[in-house]
Amino acid sequence: MRRKGAVVAVIKIKRYFPFSDSTNKETLNKLIPFMVRQALGNCSMRCPTSCIHAVDHERNQHLTVRLYAPEGAELAPQALPLVVEGLIQSFLKPVDWVDAVANQYLPLPYIGVRTLPQPIKIKQLFKKPDCAPLHALTTAALVLPGLLSPAAYAIEGDSVDFQYSHYQEGKRDISGLVSDPLTGVNSVSGIKTLNPIEVDSLHGSAKITLSDRVKFAFNYLQDTWGGATPVATAPSAFGGNGPLLSSDGTTVVGASPFLQSAQQIFLDAQKNSLIQNFDPNTGEAVYTRNNQLTHTLSTASPETRKQGDFKLSYEWDEAAVTVGGGISLEDDYESRFGNIGGRWDINQKQTTLNLDLSYTNSDTNAVLDHDAVTYIDKTAYRLNGQLETLEDEPKSNILSGNRQDWATHFGVTQILNKDALLGADVSYTRSTGYMANPYKAVSVVFIDPDQQFEAPPGGFQGQLKALLEQRPDVRNQWNLGGRYVQYINQLDAALHFDYRFSADDWGIHAHTFEADWVQPLVSGWTVTPRVRYYSQDAADFYTPWFHTEQKFNGRAKDNELPYDPSKFPSKFQDNFSSDQRLSGYGALSGGVTVTKQFAKGLTLETGFEYYTHQGSLKIGGGGEGAYADYDYWLANAALKVDLGALSLGGSGGNGHAGHEHHNHGVHAPAGVMFDHMLPNAGDFMVGYRYMYGNQSGDMLHGANAVSDQAIVANGCGPNPCFVAPDSMTMNMHMLDIMYAPTDWLTLMLMPQFMDMGMTMNRLDGAPLDSEAAKNIGNPLDSNGVPLDIGRHIPHHVQNGHETGGIGDLGMYALFKLFDNGVHHVHITTGLSVPTGDVDIKLRRNHTIDGGFIHYGMQLGSGTWDFKPSLTYTGHIDQFSWGAQASGTVRMEGQNESGYALGDLFQATAWGSYNLTNWLTASVRGMYTLQGGLNGKFNGLINQFGPMDYPQNHGGKYWDVGFGLSAMVPSGDLAGNRVSVEWLQPVEDNVNGYQLERDGALSATWSVAF
Amino acid sequence: MRSIELTVKILLLTITVALTACTAVQPWERGNLAKPQMALDPYPLQSSLRAHNYGSREAAAGGNAAQGGGCGCY
Repeated sequence: MRRKGAVVAVIKIKRYFPFSDSTNKETLNKLIPFMVRQALGNCSMRCPTSCIHAVDHERNQHLTVRLYAPEGAELAPQALPLVVEGLIQSFLKPVDWVDAVANQYLPLPYIGVRTLPQPIKIKQLFKKPDCAPLHALTTAALVLPGLLSPAAYAIEGDSVDFQYSHYQEGKRDISGLVSDPLTGVNSVSGIKTLNPIEVDSLHGSAKITLSDRVKFAFNYLQDTWGGATPVATAPSAFGGNGPLLSSDGTTVVGASPFLQSAQQIFLDAQKNSLIQNFDPNTGEAVYTRNNQLTHTLSTASPETRKQGDFKLSYEWDEAAVTVGGGISLEDDYESRFGNIGGRWDINQKQTTLNLDLSYTNSDTNAVLDHDAVTYIDKTAYRLNGQLETLEDEPKSNILSGNRQDWATHFGVTQILNKDALLGADVSYTRSTGYMANPYKAVSVVFIDPDQQFEAPPGGFQGQLKALLEQRPDVRNQWNLGGRYVQYINQLDAALHFDYRFSADDWGIHAHTFEADWVQPLVSGWTVTPRVRYYSQDAADFYTPWFHTEQKFNGRAKDNELPYDPSKFPSKFQDNFSSDQRLSGYGALSGGVTVTKQFAKGLTLETGFEYYTHQGSLKIGGGGEGAYADYDYWLANAALKVDLGALSLGGSGGNGHAGHEHHNHGVHAPAGVMFDHMLPNAGDFMVGYRYMYGNQSGDMLHGANAVSDQAIVANGCGPNPCFVAPDSMTMNMHMLDIMYAPTDWLTLMLMPQFMDMGMTMNRLDGAPLDSEAAKNIGNPLDSNGVPLDIGRHIPHHVQNGHETGGIGDLGMYALFKLFDNGVHHVHITTGLSVPTGDVDIKLRRNHTIDGGFIHYGMQLGSGTWDFKPSLTYTGHIDQFSWGAQASGTVRMEGQNESGYALGDLFQATAWGSYNLTNWLTASVRGMYTLQGGLNGKFNGLINQFGPMDYPQNHGGKYWDVGFGLSAMVPSGDLAGNRVSVEWLQPVEDNVNGYQLERDGALSATWSVAF
Repeated sequence: MRSIELTVKILLLTITVALTACTAVQPWERGNLAKPQMALDPYPLQSSLRAHNYGSREAAAGGNAAQGGGCGCY
């Protein structure tokens, strides 16, 4: 193709009201260049017609017209709107609606970065009398279908987005009954608490146009969370938070969750809670009133939730239907949902109506908290048939329940005037089934009228019990919302104001106010400060705790409750909950979002938000006490890739973006990293790399399968093994961002997010669990009592373990050594920054610390690592091949947790063949040498199996890989490449005792521009 | 139930006012409305994250109730 010079402008006209299909290609071929010249020639603007040196166009999902100018030329800012106007006037005139997007931010190579004028200026231009009609459709002015749709429909251009976020709760103020070690006097005091909840989340989404009118979007989300959360609430005077003493018996280092007190509870005549002390002189009981409430917290080991969902939409000119569905999976909660919705534009698209309907079906299958379970009465659920025990673990309690939600939503969006929009919506949700939280209990004081011998004068004595919370099995919820958006001309900013009212038949009324100010600044920056206020009433059946005048019948028969609910206070006879979500409170939050739009359709978005939940912030007062206050912050960063803008930009001059990418041509199989450089200075590449690894074969010693008995005897060094891994899976999500400052150097940044899971089984012939304490030298607790760490073993076997979050960050530089068009050699040097956690611990259980989780389940190496590699690639005709040697050298002897992973060496060679012009197949061989682990955890690790011993790490591995790679050759998605490769283990020769590998999958997507 | 009736009345009123009170805005006058900062939800990716956090900590359902989703309640 003749070289046309540089693209200086691109105009994209969507076909909502189509230029009819009868407008044939021939006509367009003549018409468009003619019209462009006409448009530019009619008005004697600064840019002469000759600037536009060529025009081409393609009709795909829309008409795209590209204007080319000779290198070094520049297009006058006025030219672009004229062309848009001209196009519309020339042959779209009978059509009164068209969506046109001119690429306003097209900084082009060779002519320097030149921002074209804002639409507002374009409009003024059209007012000049010699410049034709005012019916100008100002470019961006017409992106209305997207504008008028709620987010649910905003399947706009093709795009791929990635987002990472971190949620961090502040430590909660909890208190307990503390006895002074010197005087023995009991008093309520603050207790240092366990680490609060933190959550790491990853969100990837893609929107793709399948055909003219059919669009598809999907989302993948995963979050891994862990930390302490409230289980129940009670007056501190009840002694609910047993302080955890350090070994010297003086310092409080944490709070142990006990939900019922073995001792008597004392209340005065008005049922205020009392602290009992004894007068040192007389020995008589002295009571102090203290109504200070506190939560009891319980810690969870890390858990991961994963969600996938999709939406498919079909669009007409003034309407659309969308169907969607998805699934969310957690260990204890599984949710499946589907939705259908419609959009209808009326009144010349000034009004948009939306109607949606959704259905969600969720199952709870919760293994009840091991620590709390013995202290919580759950008879009501057992009698209801919702409680089961595992066959092999009789002490386990699994609570199951099903819940269904039907929701409908109706919304209207209305253009008020040229600077303001109004949205209003109403929704109704009906939920039925099990809606309680299986980990929350309510403290109840049972005052037995026949057992008041120790009661304080005029007061009561009672027994503290915790009952698993109960909620109604029907909930009807109404929601009314309004949203107003105002454009602020002077500042080019937009003010958003939202208000929402929600009411349900649980007695909760809630108000939400939110205001945003979106302020675009220069050079593609936008800053958006935001404030939000939320207030809700308590549910009718919410209470921090309550008391009842009856005996708790510890000897109740199997088929009866140990209490009589009809004697409970009337509000709590059927339902009761102390969940902070159902309390009365207000929440104030504020934050800022900063985005930077780079050239070529890349946008970086970061946000921060601080949120504070306080009883005193409730509208009208009367909220929950300060003991329940908490706060959190949330930070997120996202990379958004607009594939439409990338394909508009093209690069260089031949107008076929796709062909450019053949230059990158020799792509290695998906599992090979650092396989190619970017050929030209200024090139960018964004990619996503997913790797899945699974181990669930035999237990190996060296290269041979071994029996359980052999593992018990030899797998754990001098100690016996109790369990062995049954399966281990790993998922890694990596972003691949490459930039070439010059043609011999490519820089690469690779953040990663990962999650892992391990299941374990008991080994045949293992000693009794109670022997496990010997493995770590029979430790004693603070009271000198031996710790039975073996009590953790059943949980290992029942639940498995999960971890997840940010992994190590890779930073690399690729240097070109040799390239003659056929053979290419480059060297890569890089650093791996230890951003992944290496101090993840299992939760405390049965008053025994869980200790570090397995070496192989930590998220990073914990050390700064040097990662060099040398890569050779070559290609002739349809064949390509390559080889790579790579290594990882740990630059530190140990990480913060006391160990270092072994060094790694890998050698691989591959060959591939282009089956068609878009599809390539490859085969590959690989050898891996992974050194053993140095050092060991510098803190407690409960070593129950081979995976907890340093000697059982590393080995030699041989694999073969089979891969496919496809590249989109033309169209809007031209240049996008998708590759997959399966690595099949041929032989494992492991150090010590390890689980055999099953294989690994690599999948990559990339687009260069 | 009274609050529900009120809700519906307010909604109908809003719609009526919205439909009658405003003048027609021609397509070529919609330049400002089309700017990204004027989108009803300028940051959908972040909004879904925030909505999930609010949804798992507050009793009121968000505006997007008819979408479905997992629990994520900690």
